[in-house]
Amino acid sequence: MEKLKDFAKETNQPIFEINNDELISLSPYLDEENDSYKAPDDWFDKYDLSLDGFSGFPFINPSEEEKEEIIKKFLNGIQKLLNPESNWTFYKPFFLSLKHCVKCNTCAEACHIYVGSGKKEIYRPNFRSEVLRRIYKRYFTISGKVLKSFVGADIEVTYSLIRRLLELAYRCTLCRRCALYCPVGIDNGLIARELRKLFSQELGMAPVEVYKKGTRLHLQTGSTTGMKPHTFIDVIKFIEEDIHEKTGKKITIPVDKKGADIMLLHNGGEYLSWPDHIAAFAILFDAAGINYTLSSETLGYDGVNYGAWYDDVELARVGLRHLQIAHELGVKKLVIGECGHSHKVYSVIFDRILPASSPLWNIQRESCLPLMWEIVRSGVVKLDPMRNNFPITFHDSCNIVRLMGIVSPQRKIIKAISPGTFREMKPNGTYNYCCGGGSGFAIIRSLNFPVFRNKVSLRLKTKQILDTFSDVLNQDIPKVVVATCSNCKGSLRDIMKIYELFHKYKINYSGLADLIVNAITDIPPFLNLEEMEE
Amino acid sequence: MAFIEFKGKQIEIDEDGYIQNLDDWTPELAEYMAQQDGITLTEQHWEVINFLRDYYQKYQIAPMIKILVKEMAKMFGPDKGNTKYLYGLFPDGPAKQACRYAGLPKPTGCV
Repeated sequence: MEKLKDFAKETNQPIFEINNDELISLSPYLDEENDSYKAPDDWFDKYDLSLDGFSGFPFINPSEEEKEEIIKKFLNGIQKLLNPESNWTFYKPFFLSLKHCVKCNTCAEACHIYVGSGKKEIYRPNFRSEVLRRIYKRYFTISGKVLKSFVGADIEVTYSLIRRLLELAYRCTLCRRCALYCPVGIDNGLIARELRKLFSQELGMAPVEVYKKGTRLHLQTGSTTGMKPHTFIDVIKFIEEDIHEKTGKKITIPVDKKGADIMLLHNGGEYLSWPDHIAAFAILFDAAGINYTLSSETLGYDGVNYGAWYDDVELARVGLRHLQIAHELGVKKLVIGECGHSHKVYSVIFDRILPASSPLWNIQRESCLPLMWEIVRSGVVKLDPMRNNFPITFHDSCNIVRLMGIVSPQRKIIKAISPGTFREMKPNGTYNYCCGGGSGFAIIRSLNFPVFRNKVSLRLKTKQILDTFSDVLNQDIPKVVVATCSNCKGSLRDIMKIYELFHKYKINYSGLADLIVNAITDIPPFLNLEEMEE
Repeated sequence: MAFIEFKGKQIEIDEDGYIQNLDDWTPELAEYMAQQDGITLTEQHWEVINFLRDYYQKYQIAPMIKILVKEMAKMFGPDKGNTKYLYGLFPDGPAKQACRYAGLPKPTGCV
């Protein structure tokens, strides 16, 4: 692509396409066939693949009249983002990031998508921000309105531009690694997120997986999985039986226990995809004598809040309900389970959302990780590090390390419960790379979006995992990547399946609670690294 | 949206082949979908599909795989209550492939 203004070009052909042989190499670990992906021919007319040949939005192209309306609403939406009253949640960091970029492009090398793609211009974190900046200049400043190209305001807002910008807002996982490297603190991740917000709140454009089958389903049924309270109760009973069979222990998982110290909020997906993880928390908290409870109220058992990725209204609706449930139970603390974006929402963003006078301030909102370290450190549960005698690495959840700065408890835990077999990925901690599935990427399955995710977004993490275990790749040595986030685990599962890391190198993955429980001496080993479940 | 042509009717499916309107489902459609994948549905397949449909009737979601395995063991014995057996019947994975033939919606949320 020659110039940024090609972005507005009225064509249904992609302005740029990914070549397989330009992607970052996974050699010598994996031999990849150079079978370049092509979307079906009829999709180019039916859908809009005009950014890079990929799309996560299966809606049909609007009429000319509708396009005019979309342009109006889009510009109106930008105005709202720029207004501290209508955008009271994120105006300040958004506006500062829009205004003060010095265009040094330090952010580019920090981005796993840019690097993974083979450094394609269009995926630079600053590229999408720059499109928005030029629109801002052209339409919302006097000099831009008058002088246009003379002041870098040479972009016309067309439907094609808007449509490409929608896709481009979903070529960023909001991991904010770019913000960490930026010398002036520009948050291009936030700009991408605010664009997503504009698209959702002003134009009703959001991926079906995060809106209709995400927050809407969450508010209607109680969970983004569609799980209703009576199903949740049934699942809990099943997990209790399973714990009994597996460990010989009869544990009652506390549900709706009024006045407990803690309400524990798991990611709802865990109950269906990783029920052993729920069991691990139950075993650990029971052994440690933690006075906690789960909730069977609608929403009370699914702690995700997808609004964090794309919509402030949905974010507030879901979040207030979660806090209300904790308040009604009379707990002192809401403890967030192993879910990255839920950490961000409840520990950080809700400080901005709660009204000053709200009684919901009385509930402390905390990460589960310091509590888990406290349990391990105290010695109240007898743990044998030799149970975890296999190479272990840790994948950081961006929201937990970079956004919140919780870096050490998870490492202290792993070191305490393994016999010196822990190794860091490089880079790690606040400098980690995103799993590739953040901000909804792991669950968006529409059209060929998963092809983009798998090929480009998961790529750098795949390489990093292989590099970390490069000296122990032998099939006879089981290895594990530990992650404290459901979304990350979903990505790791995809990585291991698509790139055959389990099949070829016996690399498995696990939650942190699961690894701790594997070391509890008075029950049989909990993890089975010899198998990978679907 | 994509469609499959079945008995002169266009049945809407998503990009992963799940039917969009659950009322479109008939046992014949399940057999047809399996045929497209080169699979002939046997009594053993139907034991799984029928369980999935019953569970969905009760809970409006697909069961976690562990529940499927355990219930199969309870109903048909340990030979049928294990993932190896289920993968033998549904090579793309029981959670995906069997649910698709059973006409259940695609799983949602962080699963």
